[in-house]
Amino acid sequence: MKGRTLLVDLCCAVIWTCVAASAFAQTDFDKANQEYAQGHFKEAIGGYETLVRSGQWSANLFYDLGNAYFRTSDFGRAILNYERALALERHHPEAAANLQIARDEARALEMQQSWPERYLQFASLNQYSIAAAIAFWVGAFCTVVLIFARRRSARLIALSLLSFSVCALAILATYEIDNGSKGRALAIITGDNVQARLATADTANSILALPQGSEIKILSTRGDWIYAALPNDLRGWIPAKSTELVRM
Amino acid sequence: MHSSRIGLVLIALIAVLGTNTAFAESPSVTAVLGNSEAVVGQMVQMEIKVTGANNAGLPTEISVDGLEIHQTGTSRQFEMHNLTTSSSTVYIYTILPLKPGTFAIPPQTIRVGSSSLRTPALKLNVSDSPNRSTRSNQTAQPANTNQLAFAELIVPKKSAFVGEIVPAEIRLGFDPRAHPKLIDGPEVSGQGFTAQKLQQGGENLETINGRTYDVVTFKTAIAAARAGKFDLGPVKAKVQVVTPRAPGTRRSRSPFDLFNLDDPFSDPFFSDPFGQFGERREVEINSEPIAFEVKPLPANAPASFSGAIGNFTMTTEAKPNSVQVGDPITVTSTISGRGNFDRVNAPALEDEHGWHKYPPSSKFKQDDEVGISGTKTFEMVVSPDEKKQSIPLLAFSYFDPVKERYMTLHSDPIAITVQGGAAPGPSVAAQSASPTSATTSAVPAKPQDILYQLTERGSVQSFTPLYVRPIFWTAQLIPLLALLGLAGWKMRQARIGNREARRIAALQHEAAELMRKLRRNDVSPQEYYAEASRVVRVKAALARNADPNTIDAETAADTFGLNGDSRERLKRLFEQSDELQYSGAHNGSKRISPENRRDVLELIEDLRV
Repeated sequence: MKGRTLLVDLCCAVIWTCVAASAFAQTDFDKANQEYAQGHFKEAIGGYETLVRSGQWSANLFYDLGNAYFRTSDFGRAILNYERALALERHHPEAAANLQIARDEARALEMQQSWPERYLQFASLNQYSIAAAIAFWVGAFCTVVLIFARRRSARLIALSLLSFSVCALAILATYEIDNGSKGRALAIITGDNVQARLATADTANSILALPQGSEIKILSTRGDWIYAALPNDLRGWIPAKSTELVRM
Repeated sequence: MHSSRIGLVLIALIAVLGTNTAFAESPSVTAVLGNSEAVVGQMVQMEIKVTGANNAGLPTEISVDGLEIHQTGTSRQFEMHNLTTSSSTVYIYTILPLKPGTFAIPPQTIRVGSSSLRTPALKLNVSDSPNRSTRSNQTAQPANTNQLAFAELIVPKKSAFVGEIVPAEIRLGFDPRAHPKLIDGPEVSGQGFTAQKLQQGGENLETINGRTYDVVTFKTAIAAARAGKFDLGPVKAKVQVVTPRAPGTRRSRSPFDLFNLDDPFSDPFFSDPFGQFGERREVEINSEPIAFEVKPLPANAPASFSGAIGNFTMTTEAKPNSVQVGDPITVTSTISGRGNFDRVNAPALEDEHGWHKYPPSSKFKQDDEVGISGTKTFEMVVSPDEKKQSIPLLAFSYFDPVKERYMTLHSDPIAITVQGGAAPGPSVAAQSASPTSATTSAVPAKPQDILYQLTERGSVQSFTPLYVRPIFWTAQLIPLLALLGLAGWKMRQARIGNREARRIAALQHEAAELMRKLRRNDVSPQEYYAEASRVVRVKAALARNADPNTIDAETAADTFGLNGDSRERLKRLFEQSDELQYSGAHNGSKRISPENRRDVLELIEDLRV
């Protein structure tokens, strides 16, 4: 009896903590929004960044943070946060619209997507993961039924093959999206006057000038430099401090 | 008599020989130079060969301005051809050039007996320095004719500007008889300049001073990094060669050793390589350094000068020619010519007002081995912010080292049509905005303004892909367990199915066995009726899928749907079986009558569901 009471108390404490944390987060979010509405963009950015640092990530939080940065003319970080909002929620119309405006303002360069990436855009990474899992289990169940059936049904065989094919395609799509130009290695130029260079030195020949908000794909890191795929099918070295990964 | 005959023959023979000798002795004179090319201070030998005269009067010194010519020795030669003998005397002179130039050694009058002979006039070219490579179109020559290998650096000019690319050629000559093998290099040493990677240009045989050399040519380009005077080179290379093992031993003169100048190839090893083995050794060869003067660039460089030095031309084109305001136009500039293309940057827009330009990209296509000449193409995207009539002029500046002044190339005007009045507005953003979403910004709207803030924070999300999260893989346990359950259930079903099939097969086998026994005559009535009733029970059990022991006469009759007579006969069969089994009636008749047997068999065979 005592044990059961303790368990109930524990559950209540956990639920209360979660609710309280969420309520406090919402309060901080509202406070930052108020600062933004009053035109105190720096303070608003501080409030939003506090929430980001606490791990309370949401598409709307990054969207609002992007707006605050946009108001301070920090287009690089504005684009970065719009990209983060879209990474969390692919269909975020406000973030997509403001991202376009910020890119136009910053004259930011975009990575060219490969044709498989373009065709695979209709679903998200997580949706492909779920599709792969469902297709796999459907195929596995069909296979088990086929193994123990006295008569092999042609429909069951076809369903089994179809399921495994869908599973394989979904896994390929997951890999392509995750490793593509808009995948987990996508980063945004946040520094000013960033030049992609031939070697890891400030004096090395410049390959491409990257305006704020330009997209790059990080290929490797060496010390304070990153080697990245650039827009226009180029590659070069960029100071690591001038870029931030979209996916945190 | 006999002795007088022999004496006559001898006299005749001497007379003939004397006549031949007299013909052979017709005096003649030739003169040759050991080398017609020399440098100041380099000794050259001259031979004057007098044939058919024993005592010729030759001068011990020959006077030529700029040359010191002394007689240093004589040698006598005897030759016999078809019983004809001839003798000649070679007078050896040593020539020491004192100054550069082309010298004519005048004909020398030689008194032979009462007649006089004249040597031909000889010509000797003397250069001022052993480094002959600074002159173009000049044949390579080893400083020492006994060298097995030599290196030579050739540059077309002795002065250049800082950053100017100067092509250079390196020639390595090897005596092929030494089986040379290049181990290291060549490399151009020196400070104050950079040299591009060497490209092998070709290989051919050349005869230099009467000796054949295998000459390998490398091409490169050098660029001075700072102004001043410095030495270019020497070129260094390491070669492995084969040399005779015992160089100090006496040996016969080699055909290559015309003047007995200690030619290493006069060793017998080279005339019979299989007779003795040579010795491999490494030899480092060096060229003479070249004094090089580097001049600084003039100070009045134009704004668009990026360090390009050489001679260039530029063409420009733009596509498309008709655009909307804000649309991109690709301007392609092609710079061709000869110079330091690594410092050739994209041409600059002379007037950027009303244009937005993007960083250019470039491609270089070289036309030679070292990349001095070629074509560099720049693609620059520009977009008009307002209506424009033409692409702004592009300017490219470079320094021409021949004219020694800066040059600026301008593109031709390219007419374009720009439609529309202003940059595109926020229509896309406005259309995609959600009308249900909360407050608008307090900031006054710009022509292209962002959308409102969102007041709902939304649920907490993660950037981690679903397939990496533990919850995803934990969730897979549910279908996995379901799959295992399905498999287990299917296996159990199969096992049960197998047990039932075995039971049915056993009953069918038993019924068949019993029917076979019932058709035999050698069984007792007790046994016969017991087996007959058992057959009925087994058949009924098979039909009802039941245990045979639970079947009685009524159940069996119901199972097979028997009518009154058959039902009675079946009951009687069961009663008779029970009676014989339990009442001891088996002590009566020992055999069953054929009629009863037939009756029972008919009854049993007619039992069908």
